[in-house]
Amino acid sequence: MTMATLPSTLAPAVPADKPENESARLGFRLTLPAQILVLFIAVFPLLMQLYISLSDWAPLSGVEWWNAWELWNSFANYSDLAADTRFWSALWCTALVMVICVPAEFLLGLALATLFADDFPGKRVFYSILLMPMMVVPAVAGYMFFMLFQSGGPVNDILSALTGRTVAIAWLSDPTLAFIAVVIADIWQWTPLMFLILLAGLVGVPDDQIKAATLLGANAWQRFTTIVLPKMKTIIIIALAIRVIENFKIFDTLFIMTGGGPGVATETISVYVYKVTTQDLIWGYVAAIALAILVVLSVVAVFAMKRMAKARELAA
Amino acid sequence: MSAIHLQNLVKRFGPFTALRTMDLHIADGEFMALLGPSGCGKSTTMNMIAGMEEPSEGQILFGDRDMAGVPMGRRGVGFVFQNYAIFTHMTVRGNLSYGLRMRGAPKSEIDRRVGAVAELLQLTPLLHRKANRLSVNILQRVAIGRSAIMEPAIFLLDEPLSNVDAAFRAVMRTELKHLQREFKQTMVYVTHDQLEAMTMADRIAVMDHGVLQQVGAPLDVYNNPANLFVARFIGAPGMNLLPGRPAESDGGLVIDLGPLGISPPLPEGIAAVLRGSNGEVFYGFRPEQVTRSVDGRGLAMPVSFVERIGARTIVHLGEGERSVKAVFENDAGAVVGETLVLVPDAASVRVFDAGSGRAVMAEG
Repeated sequence: MTMATLPSTLAPAVPADKPENESARLGFRLTLPAQILVLFIAVFPLLMQLYISLSDWAPLSGVEWWNAWELWNSFANYSDLAADTRFWSALWCTALVMVICVPAEFLLGLALATLFADDFPGKRVFYSILLMPMMVVPAVAGYMFFMLFQSGGPVNDILSALTGRTVAIAWLSDPTLAFIAVVIADIWQWTPLMFLILLAGLVGVPDDQIKAATLLGANAWQRFTTIVLPKMKTIIIIALAIRVIENFKIFDTLFIMTGGGPGVATETISVYVYKVTTQDLIWGYVAAIALAILVVLSVVAVFAMKRMAKARELAA
Repeated sequence: MSAIHLQNLVKRFGPFTALRTMDLHIADGEFMALLGPSGCGKSTTMNMIAGMEEPSEGQILFGDRDMAGVPMGRRGVGFVFQNYAIFTHMTVRGNLSYGLRMRGAPKSEIDRRVGAVAELLQLTPLLHRKANRLSVNILQRVAIGRSAIMEPAIFLLDEPLSNVDAAFRAVMRTELKHLQREFKQTMVYVTHDQLEAMTMADRIAVMDHGVLQQVGAPLDVYNNPANLFVARFIGAPGMNLLPGRPAESDGGLVIDLGPLGISPPLPEGIAAVLRGSNGEVFYGFRPEQVTRSVDGRGLAMPVSFVERIGARTIVHLGEGERSVKAVFENDAGAVVGETLVLVPDAASVRVFDAGSGRAVMAEG
C-alpha cells in the first residue's frame, strides 16, 4: 500500500517552497514498513507486557489477555515484587555470578588475546581449540558439566589422583560448590568470546604507535597501559557490555546443571522467571518481573553506549 | 650528537637478502638521504639503525659505541614514521611529553621542555588539542617534536613526506631543512623521491636491490653517476643512454652509435681511458644538457612525442633502446615526425661500460 503511493510522490518536480519537508515525508513513507515491523516485534509486546503486569492475568484465568483489565490489581504485582525475597535472592545470585564471571572472563580473554597477538608454533591449532567452547550448544555444555561434577565424575577422579585419596565431593548438592561449578562452566564457555573480541581489538592497535612508544623509551607494561589499553577502550566496553547483558540472562547451562538448586542457591533471575512462568503460571507477575529486569538492563545498556561513544570520541 | 658507522651490514629475511654488505659512514651533524626505489633496502637499513631489526651480519656504531644488542628504547634515536605514528588518543602535549613521562622525569622539567619544544615548533597554541584532528603539517611537527624533546643524537626520518600532496611537500621540505639546522642532529632521511634528497641532504646514498650504488653530494651524484642505475635513477627524466662502441675519428675519439651515426668527440679525459678498447659502452648525457645543432652536425633523430609541462618541454626522440629525451627551457617548437639534430654538451657527456655498468672515469 505504501509502495503504491510512491510514484505519485516522485512524479511531480520537487516543489520549490519546501523541499526538505517533501524529502522527509518520502523518507517516512520509505521506512514505514520497517517501522511497522519494529512496532509489532518490540513496542507491541512491551505494551502488552506492561498491560498484563498490572493485572492478575494467567493463561488459566478464563479471560482473554486483552480483557485482563477485569483482573486489574492496580500495582499489586510491583509491590509484591518489592517484598518478594526469592526475587531479591535471585537478583543477588545473578549479580554475584556476573561480578565473578565477567571480570574473570575479561582478564582471561585479555591475557589469551595478548598471547595470541604474537606468533608462536601451533597458534592456529590452539586458536581453534580455544574457540570450541563457544561453539558448543549451551544445553550440551550444561550436560557436560553436569556429568563432570557428579560425585563419581571426572572432576573428583582427577582430584583423587592428585591428592592420592578418594575424593567424592557432591559438587552440585552443596550450595557453595554448586555455585562454583556454575561459575566455572560459564567462564569455560564464554572466555572464548571475550578472547575473540579482545583479540580483534588488540590486532587493531597500530603497530607503529607501539614502536614509536618503544623508541621513546616506554617499557612493555607502559606500552600496554598508555597505548594498547586506551586504544582498545571502545572494544573493551563492547565486550563487557555484551557479557554483562548475556550473563544477566544466564539460564540454559545453569538450569541443566543445578536447576537453580540446591534450594535456591543458584537460582538466577532467568531461572526464577522460568519457574514462575511454567510452574506457578501467574503471568501478570512474570510480566512485572520481566519489565523490572528490562529497566535494569536498559540502564546498563544506555550507560555502556554512552561510555562507548565517549571512548570512540577519545580514541578516534 | 653522534656519527653513524655501518660496517659490512647484511640483512637477510629467510632466503631473501634485503641488504648486502653495506658500508656507510655518516658524519656527526650530517643530513644523509638514503635514496632508492621501493625494496632497495633503505628502510631495512634505517630500521637496523633504530634497532627495530637486528643485522644478520656486520656492525652498527654510533661514534665508537657498538650498538649490537642495545634495545631500541636505549639507542637515543629519534624516529619519525612515514605516517608519523602520532598517539591519536592523546593531546599534542601528551604526545610531546610521552618520552619524558615514561622515563619518570619530574613534572617541572617536563613542563619546561614541552614548553621549549612547542615554542620552537610553533605548537604552543595547539598543546591542548587532541591529536586525532590535526592537519598533516602539524602532525609532522608533533612527530618531530616528540622525538626532539628526548634530545636524541640521531634523527631518523622514514619517508615523512610521502603522504603529503605535492604543493605541500615543497613547504615541508623547507621546513624540515630549517628544523635540522635548528636541532643540529645527525639526520638520516629515507626517501624514494630524489627531489627531496637533492634539496635537503648534505649527501645522498643511492641504493638498489640491497646494494649501495653511490654516496656523494647531491650535485656530484647528479653530475657524475657511478653506474648505469644511478644515471637512470637520478634526474627527471633520467640520463639518456645510447649503446655504442668507441671509434676513432678526425676530431678525436667518438662513440659509434650504430644507426644513429657517431657521437661528437668525447672529452679528452674519458677518451684517454677509453682509447684502444672496443667493448660495448653506453653513451650518456643529461636531457637538460643538449642543444639543437646550428651546423647540422650531431645526433639526428625523429621526434616521437612532445611533452609540454609549462616552463619546460620534454621532447622524446627515436624509439626502443635508441631513444632519448631532450628538455628545452621554452616551447621548443618541436613537431612529431620532424627530425631534430641534437648536440650534447661536451663537458657533461658520460660513458658507461656496458658489461660492468660502471662509469668510465677520467683518470687523475
